[in-house]
Amino acid sequence: MGKKMLNFEEQCKILNLLKSSSEQKSIEEMLTEFFTNPKLRHFNVCYSLSLLLQDKMMLSSTERLVAFAILHRSYSSQKSAANPFISFLVNAACDEGAENYERAFILHLLGFGNSNSSKEFLKQSASEYIKKFDPSSQTFPQKEQLQKQYLEKAHPEPYACLLKSTAVKNVLADPDVPPGCDANSAEFDLEPGAKSKLGSGDRDEALSGLIANLSLEGLIPHWIRPLPPRFPVDEELVWLNPDNNHELQWDQGMCADTSRGAAVRDLIAKALRGPLAPNQQEQVLVELANDPKLVYHCGLTPRKLPELVESNPLIAVDVLIKLINSPEIAEYFTVLVNMDMSLHSMEVVNRLTTAVELPKEFVRTYITNCISSCENIKDKYMQNRLVRLVCVFLQSLIRNRIIDVKDLFIEVQAFCIEFSRIREAAGLFRLLKTLE
Amino acid sequence: MDLRDSSPSSTPNRDGNAGDDDGVLSVTSALAKDAALYFQSRKFAECVDVLNQLNSKKENDPKVLHNIAIAEFFRDGCSDPKKLLEVLNNVKRSEELALASGEQVESGSNIGNNITSGSKGSGTTTSLPASICASIIYADEFDSSVASLNIAVIWFYLHEYAKALSVLEHVYQNIEPIDETTALHICLLLLDVLLACRDASKSADVLNYMEKAFGVGNVSQGENGNTASQQSLNVVGKSSSDPNSSLISDVSCSDLAASVNASESPLSRTLSEDPLDEMFSTLDIGGQNLARHTGLTSANDLPKITVDRSISGVDLKLKLQLYKVRLLLLTRNVKLAKREVKHAMNIARGRDSSMALFLKAQLEYARGNHRKAIKLLMASSNRTDAAMSSMFNNNLGCIYYQLGKYHTSAVFFSKALSNCSSLQKEKPLKLLTFSQDKSLLITYNCGLQYLACGKPLLAAHCFQKASLVFYKRPLMWLRLAECCLMAVEKGLVKGSWAPSDRSEVRVSVIGKGRWRRLLIENGTTRNRHVDSVERDVWALGDDGQPKLSLPLARQCLYNALHLLNCSELSNSKSILPSDSSLEENELSDGASSKNSNYKNLPSNDSKASTMPAALINLNGDLKEPKGGTNQEGIQTFISYYEDICRRENQMIKQALLANLAYVELELENPLKALSAARALLELPGCSRIYVFLGHVYLAEALCLLNKPKEAAEHLSIYLSGESNIELPFGLEDCEQWRVKKHIDCEEANVGAAAAKNSSPEGLEDFMFLKPDEARGTLYANLAAVSAIQGDLERAHHFVTQALSLVPDSSEATMTAIYVDLMLGKSQEAVSKLKHCSHVRFLPSNQQFNKSS
Repeated sequence: MGKKMLNFEEQCKILNLLKSSSEQKSIEEMLTEFFTNPKLRHFNVCYSLSLLLQDKMMLSSTERLVAFAILHRSYSSQKSAANPFISFLVNAACDEGAENYERAFILHLLGFGNSNSSKEFLKQSASEYIKKFDPSSQTFPQKEQLQKQYLEKAHPEPYACLLKSTAVKNVLADPDVPPGCDANSAEFDLEPGAKSKLGSGDRDEALSGLIANLSLEGLIPHWIRPLPPRFPVDEELVWLNPDNNHELQWDQGMCADTSRGAAVRDLIAKALRGPLAPNQQEQVLVELANDPKLVYHCGLTPRKLPELVESNPLIAVDVLIKLINSPEIAEYFTVLVNMDMSLHSMEVVNRLTTAVELPKEFVRTYITNCISSCENIKDKYMQNRLVRLVCVFLQSLIRNRIIDVKDLFIEVQAFCIEFSRIREAAGLFRLLKTLE
Repeated sequence: MDLRDSSPSSTPNRDGNAGDDDGVLSVTSALAKDAALYFQSRKFAECVDVLNQLNSKKENDPKVLHNIAIAEFFRDGCSDPKKLLEVLNNVKRSEELALASGEQVESGSNIGNNITSGSKGSGTTTSLPASICASIIYADEFDSSVASLNIAVIWFYLHEYAKALSVLEHVYQNIEPIDETTALHICLLLLDVLLACRDASKSADVLNYMEKAFGVGNVSQGENGNTASQQSLNVVGKSSSDPNSSLISDVSCSDLAASVNASESPLSRTLSEDPLDEMFSTLDIGGQNLARHTGLTSANDLPKITVDRSISGVDLKLKLQLYKVRLLLLTRNVKLAKREVKHAMNIARGRDSSMALFLKAQLEYARGNHRKAIKLLMASSNRTDAAMSSMFNNNLGCIYYQLGKYHTSAVFFSKALSNCSSLQKEKPLKLLTFSQDKSLLITYNCGLQYLACGKPLLAAHCFQKASLVFYKRPLMWLRLAECCLMAVEKGLVKGSWAPSDRSEVRVSVIGKGRWRRLLIENGTTRNRHVDSVERDVWALGDDGQPKLSLPLARQCLYNALHLLNCSELSNSKSILPSDSSLEENELSDGASSKNSNYKNLPSNDSKASTMPAALINLNGDLKEPKGGTNQEGIQTFISYYEDICRRENQMIKQALLANLAYVELELENPLKALSAARALLELPGCSRIYVFLGHVYLAEALCLLNKPKEAAEHLSIYLSGESNIELPFGLEDCEQWRVKKHIDCEEANVGAAAAKNSSPEGLEDFMFLKPDEARGTLYANLAAVSAIQGDLERAHHFVTQALSLVPDSSEATMTAIYVDLMLGKSQEAVSKLKHCSHVRFLPSNQQFNKSS
C-alpha cells in the first residue's frame, strides 16, 4: 500500500495556501506564512505540488504561480543546483505551451537576467503579477542555456534504483463527461447552488482528494516474478514396513569358562619354538577347522609369525588362510615378505598363492626379495640350493598364472642368465622364452 | 551347589546334564548359568537377584554389570532406555580398557569338559535360543561386542540411526573374531540401520558378507556358490589334514606330480633326485589348477559356521531375502525387487508373511499399481495390532496421496497417528514399542499432505515436529521453506498481503465529473512483506512454533544447501579409487570419516569387492553389458542407484537455489538474489524450468541493481530474431510436477480407470506457469527492461505480446499502462486500466478513512 505523502496538517496547509492565492496578499507574505511551521517536510510538500502542477488543469493560474514560488523557496537557502526540483522548474520555464507570464515568473524566481529586481516582484499578489505582466518585456532564453546555467553544477545524482527513478506520475485524468463534450470546458464546473448535471464536478473536492491521496511512489514498469513451483513429491512419502525385532543380548561371556581353545593356544605357543609332533600338528589343524573363530584367539600375532613359519610352515599356511578376512592380514603379509628367505617361507608363500588371492604387490616384492637373497648368499652350496628352489617356485607361480611374467620379465631373465649354470635356471629361462 | 539346587524347577533339563559337571563348575559359573536361565525364561527379578549375588563375588566385573543392567531394564518394563545406555557405555569402556591393558582373565578351572558341556546344553535346552549355549568364550577375550550390540539396539529403537551406525560400524570393522551368534545379530542390526540410513552400497556389502559368512545363499545363486565353497573346504581340509604324508612320503606325491605334469616331467624329475627339494616340488606343482580354482573361491567364502544359531536356517534365509528386497526397493530396482519378493513369498509360506506382504505392496506402490498395493495391504493379517494398523493406515495414506486424493490420504494419516498414540499407552512397555512408534514419520507424511492441500501453517507444524528425525534431510528444510512461501503467498503471515491484494491493482477514484482523477495505488512495488519481521527470524508465535516468514524461509533454504553440500563432499570422498592397499591406508589416515571406515583395511576391501552371485544374477537384468566380473556387478548395481541419488540431489539443489533467489528478491536483497540465481544457472544439467526461473530472477536482480542492459541480455537468450520469444520450456518439462495417477493407466489396470476419471480432490495439483504463460512472462519482463532503458517502441511491442499471452497479469497491464503514459497515450492507459480484470476501483472518501 503506497504511503501517503502528506500528513493532515500539511494537507491543510497546502489547501489553505492555494485558496489564499487568489486573495490580494503579496506572494512574499504567503511564502513567509507558509514556512512558519518548522515541521513542514519540504520535499513532500514540494513533490505534491509538482505533481499537481503537472496536471495542467487542476490548479488555477494564481495557484500555479504560488506553487512554483514554493518549489523555489523551499530550497532557496542552497545553491540552485541543489534544489531537487530545479529541472522541473527549468522545464516549466521552457514549456512553450505554458502561459508566458508563468514562464516569466519562473525565470524571475530563478533570478535569470537581472538579479537586482529579484525580490521586488514577490511584493505583489499573484493576480497582480499576471495582470501587470507585459509580454514584450520578457525574452525567453533557450532551454540549453538555462540547463547550462542551473543544472550543470548539479551534484552527481545519488544512487537510486533505476526501476523506481523511472517512475511516472501515477495520477491519470479520467474526466467523466458525456461523449463529445470538451472536458476542459468550464460548463462542467459545479455552480454553487445550481443543480448538478451529468459530467459536472467540484474542483475543490477533487483537489483535496488528490492532496490527501498522493503518494511518493509513481508508476513504474512491473516485473513478473513467478513463484517457484513446489518441489515434486516423488519418493518422499515415508512408506512403513514392519520392523525386525532386535532383542537385547545377554552376555554369555559372563563368568564363563575361559579354557576353550587353551589347548590350541598352548600348542601354538609350542609351535613357535620348534616343530610339533605330527599328532599335535593334527590336533591344531583339526581344532582350527572345527572352530572358525578360534584362529583369532589362538595367541598368534604378526610379530610371532616368522617363528611359526620356520618351525611349522603347514600350520602357518593354515592359520594365514583362515585369517585372510582378518583386519590384521596386511600386517601378517608385511611380516612374511620381510622375513629371511628360506625354504619354509617359500613353501608358505607358494601354498598361499594357490589357496588365496594374494595382493599383487606382496607377490612382486617377495619374488624380488628371493632373487636378491640368491645373489647375496656367500656359501656356494647353499646358493645352488636356494637358486633351484627359487626357480621351481617361480615356475610354479608362472604356470599357475599367479604372476604376470611381463611384470618381472627383465628381473627374472637377468636372474636366469646369472645362474645359467644351474639346470633349473636354464629350465626357467626356456619357460620364459616360450611365453614371450 | 546349594545355589544350583535352589534353581527353579522350570529348568530341570539343565540339572540332568549338569550332573556330570558338578565337580568342575565353579560357584560363579554356576550362578552365571542360573542367571542366564532365569533370563531366558523371562524371570527378570530372580535373574537380577542371582546376578547381584554374583556381583558380590566378582566385584565390578563388566560382564556381570552388563547383564544386571539388561535384566533390570526388562524387570522395570523397558522404561528407561537412556539409563541403560549409560550403564552399557560404562561397561563397554571398561572392557575396552581391560583389553587395551592386555590383562588376562583368570582362566577357568577346567579345560576339555566345558566344551562338551556347552554342546550338550545346546542339545537339551532346545526351547532356549541357541545363543545361550552356542557361544564360545575365548581365553583372551575382553570382548565388548555384546555391549556394543546392545547399545546399538537401543539407539536403533530410539530412531537414532546415526549413533547406532557409528557403534556398529566400529564393531563390524573387526567382526571376524566375534562369535557367530553375536556377529549375526550385529550384521542383522547393521543392515536395518543402514537401510534406515538409506545407504545402499554399505547395505549391499553387509548383505553380501552375511550370505557368505552365514552360509545362506540365495537359492537362485545356486548350488554353485555353495558347492564350490564346500569343495574348496574339502580341498583345504584334505591338504591340511595330510600334511604328514606330504612331509614324510615322497612316493605318493611324486606320483601325483608326475601324473599331472607329464609334459614338464624333465624339471620335476630332476628335482626328484634331491629328496629335500622333492618335498618342495610336491607341494603344488601337481594339481595346481584344480587347487587354484577352488582355492580362490574358498578364500573369499568364509568358513561355514558349524554352531547352532538362534535363528533357524529358513528364518535367516527369509530374513536375508527380505533385506535384499528392501535394498532393491531402496535402489529403485523394481524389476529385480519383483522377482526377489516372489522368492521371499515362497520362503515365507506357512510363516508370518506380513513383512513380505508389506514389501510387495511397497513394490506395487513404487510401480504405480496402487490398486494392487491396496489389495496386498488388505491381505496382511493382524490389523488388530496397533503397530501394524498404524503402518497399514500410513501406507494407505501414501497410496491415496499418489492418487491425488489428498483428503482421503489425510484421513488415513490421522488414523495412523491415533494408532500410534494408542500404542504408546500399551502396558507393559516393550522395547519394540519405541521403534514401533513411527508417529514422527507419519507426521512428515501429514506435512506433505497439508502442503498439497494448501495449508502451510499445519504443514509447517508437522515438519517442525518431524524435524527431530528428519533434520538432516535437505528436502525437509526445503518443504519448510515452501510452507513459508505459501503462507506469505496466501497472506497468512503477519504483514503480508491477502492473496487478493497481491495480484490486484488498486485505483483510487478521486473527484467527479470533469475533475475525476484516477490514482494508481500500488504503482511501484508489491511490498509483500513487512521488513520488521526481519529481525526476529525464529520468533515464536503464540503456539510456540516459529512464525512462518520469508526470513525463516531463507534460513531453511540455507540449512538445506549446507546439508546438501556436506553430503556431496562426503560422497566424493568415498568414491575415491581404492586400488592398492597402500593408497588406502594413506587415505584413511587423512580421512578418518565414517565413509572411509569400510575401506580402511584391505581385508574389508575384499568384503566389499566381492559380490554375492545372487546380486550378480540380478544385475544381468539391468541393461548393463553382461559378462562383467563380480566387482563390476556390484559397482553397476550401486552406481545406478547413486546416479539416481545424485540426480535427485541436483534437482533439490536447483529447487533450493531457485527458491533462494526468489526469497532474496522478495526480501529486496538483489545482490544475494543475483548470486543465488547465478549459482542456479551454473548447475550442470539444470532442468529447463529452473533455467527459465534462473534467468528471470537473475534479470530482475540485475535490473534492481541498475544493470538493465545485462538484464535484457539474460532475457534475450529466449529471443529468436528481433522480437519473437520461444517457449522457455515444454510441457514435457512439467511432467515431474504432475500427479502420478496416470501411471496407473499406463499399466492398463482396469481399476485404474476409475482413479483416472475421478477428479483429483487436491486443489493445487500443478502450481506453475504453463509454457505459454512463461513465454508471456518473458515478454512482459523484456517490456519492462526495454521501458526502463527508454526504448518505448520495443517495450510497447513486447508488452502487447505479453498481454496476448497473459491477459490476466496485472504486472503486464501495469507495464503496458506505463508505456502508454510515457508515450503520452493517457487515453489508452485509462482504457487499459478499465479493462484489466484485476483492478479494484476505490472511491476516494472510503480510501481516506482507510488510509493509515
